[in-house]
Amino acid sequence: MLEIRDLRTGYGPIEVVHGIDLDVREGECVALIGANGAGKSSTLKTVCGLLPARSGQIRFDGQDITNRKGHAIVQAGITMCPEGRQVFPGMTVMQNLRLGAYARKGADLDWMLDMFPILRERANQAAGTLSGGEQEMLAIARALMSQPRLCIFDEPSLGLAPKIVAEVAQTIASIKAMGMTILLVEQNSLMALRLADRAYLFEAGEIVLEGTGAELQTHPEVVKAYLGH
Amino acid sequence: MTEILQQIINGIAIGGVYVLIALGLTIVFGILGIAHFAHGSVSMFGGYLTFFLVVQQGLPLVLAIAIALVTGMVLGVLIELLAYRPLRNANHINAFIVALGLTMMVEGANLQFFGAEQIVIPTNASRVFDIGGLTLPELRLYVILGAAVLIAAMTIFVEETKTGQAIRAVAENRDAAILMGINVQMIPLVVFAISTALGVAAGVMVGSLFAIAPGVGEGLVVKGFAVLILGGLGSIPGAVVGGIVLGVTEALAAGFISSAYKDVIAFIVMIAVLLLRPQGLMGRA
Repeated sequence: MLEIRDLRTGYGPIEVVHGIDLDVREGECVALIGANGAGKSSTLKTVCGLLPARSGQIRFDGQDITNRKGHAIVQAGITMCPEGRQVFPGMTVMQNLRLGAYARKGADLDWMLDMFPILRERANQAAGTLSGGEQEMLAIARALMSQPRLCIFDEPSLGLAPKIVAEVAQTIASIKAMGMTILLVEQNSLMALRLADRAYLFEAGEIVLEGTGAELQTHPEVVKAYLGH
Repeated sequence: MTEILQQIINGIAIGGVYVLIALGLTIVFGILGIAHFAHGSVSMFGGYLTFFLVVQQGLPLVLAIAIALVTGMVLGVLIELLAYRPLRNANHINAFIVALGLTMMVEGANLQFFGAEQIVIPTNASRVFDIGGLTLPELRLYVILGAAVLIAAMTIFVEETKTGQAIRAVAENRDAAILMGINVQMIPLVVFAISTALGVAAGVMVGSLFAIAPGVGEGLVVKGFAVLILGGLGSIPGAVVGGIVLGVTEALAAGFISSAYKDVIAFIVMIAVLLLRPQGLMGRA
């Protein structure tokens, strides 16, 4: 579904991703793991059109979407739940959710509120007044509102309490169970590898290892450097 | 008591004009983070144009206002595309300088096209209503009603329409707005069109209620920014409350203390408010 070939990207004069190849197949959950600054989030931003690609190609459903405008990529069926949640703080929960459906006609809010009951309780509250965990749920729900074919999660557990992290993992697992194709970047490598069908290990802007989630969970290099036991 | 009410009504009329100017400034500031100083001069261009169409071309006032509003929207779009868009990723000081340059250009153009004479847009609204001892000139009533309708329309647009919500989203978080599928290249054009139309409406009100002359627009934009700061930067309700407060304060000061010192008193009140509420009346702390 998503094919990335020899992608290079970066900020200003600094290149941070040095030619990576990556695939996400329909219905799969793929995780990108690796240290801070390894180029995982930059890769996601490039896919979503927030960061220009220097060279290489990104194909979605066989179509070349490299360096398309961000809103056109959303219309193509890719959505991202961004790092740090980035809800619209001054707008209500409902307004945030409706914006999630901006790229398509109509917005079926009910099934989303059924899936996230806490958001129903908070429906008319400003998003900025929610707790971190609630904001994460809102960001996930908002991303789903566009009814994407590929849903990207960038660091969904960042800055959340362990109990909430488990809830977020549970939510992503249930989205996966709905048949959603998922691309996930996560510092919490164990959580990522448990959720993922396949995973890529990033090191200094390159992919150094690739395998199934289970394989990488027991791979000595991954265990030593990222799982810490 | 009647005298106080009378001044308050007068203040609401001029306050309505301030609100329209401030609303235009606040949505531009919210989206692009720029202080659009040329806004007052562009607004006066709308007033001049209305005068020209009515007096020189003999068009009916309503038609002249409609043409001025549409011309204003086009002008707003051009200003965004040609003056501000190229500086999107540049240092903010650059847009600041462009805004100042643009002010001089538009003031110069107004002078060139419409001359240095003071003009008043002629209207037929010359009746004066007497309501329980309060005198309410028909024209002032139209200005208050016109401002109220535009403020309501603007609020409904921003809160209830998809495009309005997109504007708010871009103002709150541009990158997240892109991820919603919002075309963030389009939004500033819409914002400038609306902002300039509101400004032109204010220009027509100033031109019919008072008079337009070189420098009036620059004075008005300063008031507009004062309202923004008083109400809370980037806040739409803040611009409404701030504009009315400034207008009423000025009118009361002119009526009871001295019309020569009305601006001084209005700014003293503004400074006093900001000492107590540095974030502005409706701003978030």
